[in-house]
Amino acid sequence: MDTKGTILVVDDNLDNIEILRAFLESRGYTVSEAPDGKTALARMEQVRPALVLLDVMMPGMDGWQVCRTIKNHPEFGGVTRVVMVTAKGAFEDKYEGLRSGADDYVVKPVDFKDLLEKVERNLAARGGTA
Amino acid sequence: MRIVGYVGDERLGEELTAAASRMSAELTVVNAGPGSAAANQEQLLPLLRTKPDVVLFEFRSTLMEQVREETRQRGICLLAACRGENETRQAVRAGVDDWVLLPASADELHARLWAATARPARATVSQTTSEMAEHLRYEELLYDRFTGFPTLPVMLERGREILERRGRMTVLYIEFVRYSKLEEIYGWEKLDEVLQTTAAAVREFYDRQRGGGGQESHLMVSHTGDDDFIFFTDFPDAVEQAEKRINELAQELETHVRTRIESEHGEDVAGLFEIYVGSATLFRNPKIRPERLIYRGIREAAAAARGVESRERSRKVADLKTTLREEAVYIVYHPIVVTETREVYGYEALARGAHRALRSPEVLFGVAEEANLIWELSRLCRKKAIEGMPRVLRDDQFLFLNIDPHDFRDPTFRYLDVDELGGFEHPERIVLEITERTAITDYPKFQGYLAAFRERGFRFAVDDAGSGYAGLGSIANLSPDFIKLDISLISGIDANFMKQNLVETMVQFANDQGIKVIAEGVEREEEYETVKRLGVHLTQGFLFHKPGTNAVPAGIAAAHTT
Repeated sequence: MDTKGTILVVDDNLDNIEILRAFLESRGYTVSEAPDGKTALARMEQVRPALVLLDVMMPGMDGWQVCRTIKNHPEFGGVTRVVMVTAKGAFEDKYEGLRSGADDYVVKPVDFKDLLEKVERNLAARGGTA
Repeated sequence: MRIVGYVGDERLGEELTAAASRMSAELTVVNAGPGSAAANQEQLLPLLRTKPDVVLFEFRSTLMEQVREETRQRGICLLAACRGENETRQAVRAGVDDWVLLPASADELHARLWAATARPARATVSQTTSEMAEHLRYEELLYDRFTGFPTLPVMLERGREILERRGRMTVLYIEFVRYSKLEEIYGWEKLDEVLQTTAAAVREFYDRQRGGGGQESHLMVSHTGDDDFIFFTDFPDAVEQAEKRINELAQELETHVRTRIESEHGEDVAGLFEIYVGSATLFRNPKIRPERLIYRGIREAAAAARGVESRERSRKVADLKTTLREEAVYIVYHPIVVTETREVYGYEALARGAHRALRSPEVLFGVAEEANLIWELSRLCRKKAIEGMPRVLRDDQFLFLNIDPHDFRDPTFRYLDVDELGGFEHPERIVLEITERTAITDYPKFQGYLAAFRERGFRFAVDDAGSGYAGLGSIANLSPDFIKLDISLISGIDANFMKQNLVETMVQFANDQGIKVIAEGVEREEEYETVKRLGVHLTQGFLFHKPGTNAVPAGIAAAHTT
């Protein structure tokens, strides 16, 4: 299978997903996608991603709830890295991320260099602890 | 799920059909009505060999033993429907998994059938994989993941068994009280760790009781949604002797848990926990539904535990009054160092009660708050802290003084002048630490007070920043001189990118505003290296210094183990 692991991209905006998919695939990652929290959780079972790139603002379950659910999952919680995609500047938001157990965040609009750095450092840390 | 019903009563047949359809279970009913026992038996026994999940058996004394035997061999759950005390007793003696008293509604049957299949200790001979999986899924619902103890629904079944068997049961309610500041000071991760230790200690205690042999049955249960535990036991002895055993058990449990917390998290953390045990003994009463009896027992035991708690509290209030009269607090000074050079920049004054029970500041202030003596205590602490300044601080060092939210309502504090600071003439060397929470709750008046203090030269620090109460905006509005980052942001920061991001944002913001950032609770070299890399200006923590009653001697200021 793939060598660099699967990344699950969760965003209600399909354009965003496409942009992220194109970039991540060009860097050798396998990308799976979900348009909302519920689908994302179902997808987790199927693809068992190493990392989830999770948008905060989504209709229905928001990103924090999804993150909490993933992190509390007995099977996925410990081995899945969650990187939040959040609006710039809101410190409260980032603090919420800490509370819900997220591992890292990137700010919107996404800077690819920053994104890649954070994806890599989280996958590396995961390798170290898994 | 498949259910076999052995039913003669027409009404029971109807209710059972309704209950089964609600569970989408496949139901086969054998008519146990008029007719010879032999004919009925002929119909029932072959059905048992098809291994249904549950058998609901309308009680027949002639068949009871045999049905129990057949179902046990096959791991089938047996539920007896009984008419009155006498039948119930016989059914329990035969070892049914559960029983219902007739008449029973569809609701009740549904609940019992559901609970029956979820029973953990089924004496199964062979279980298929799918049965196992289902069993595990139930278990997750019925067992507290933290402690592995069953939760209330399971306990009721077992508790009733004990009550039925012994006619008497003792409930111990184990109440854990923690000072709310624990989370604020050490962060939620620490709290989680402590709770885990507590659960493990309770678990050990329970295992030891069970392993102790003897004739007592024990059952430990987690009180869902709470950190408390409920312990069921049946003492075979006379009531007076049992009373003694209860006290012993309570003592033993408390000592065990306290010792574990102390050895794993230190005396300071252990000091923030109190354990109270209350007990109630209940007796089987055929007129009262056992569940109700058990719930009543739990409530009684919980009330008893709270009684013990309130007695302890009043004793502490008396201790506090003595403390205030005799000025029995002392101050320890905790150094704050410059991150780059590790030189001492200033000291935070921390009050300790001289009385042993009031030594922890959280307990000391907690009791004062309850007893409405917080102003008196705060005044005493400020006075003592400032008195010690000339002895401990160099002229170029700052004194960080914690201000309680209540202090701003104290008239003598608001108009605080130099005389009341013990004749100290350098307010600019004093940094008042305000917690983020004060800033929010008293906001409108607050800035006015701050301005008045600032005019006289005092400086300010926002304490516990990033503990989730306020955002950067409200911190900016206070224009503090220092921001103290909450310990929950610092502990384990080296391995947590989220925390690193947050601290980085804080430092950027502070640099823009000309504010200095202080990292609290730095305990490990890795944490120090990380905050240094992120540009945090000042650092405080056990890695460098523990709080002490004296100044850090020159020369060892930067000493620490590497």
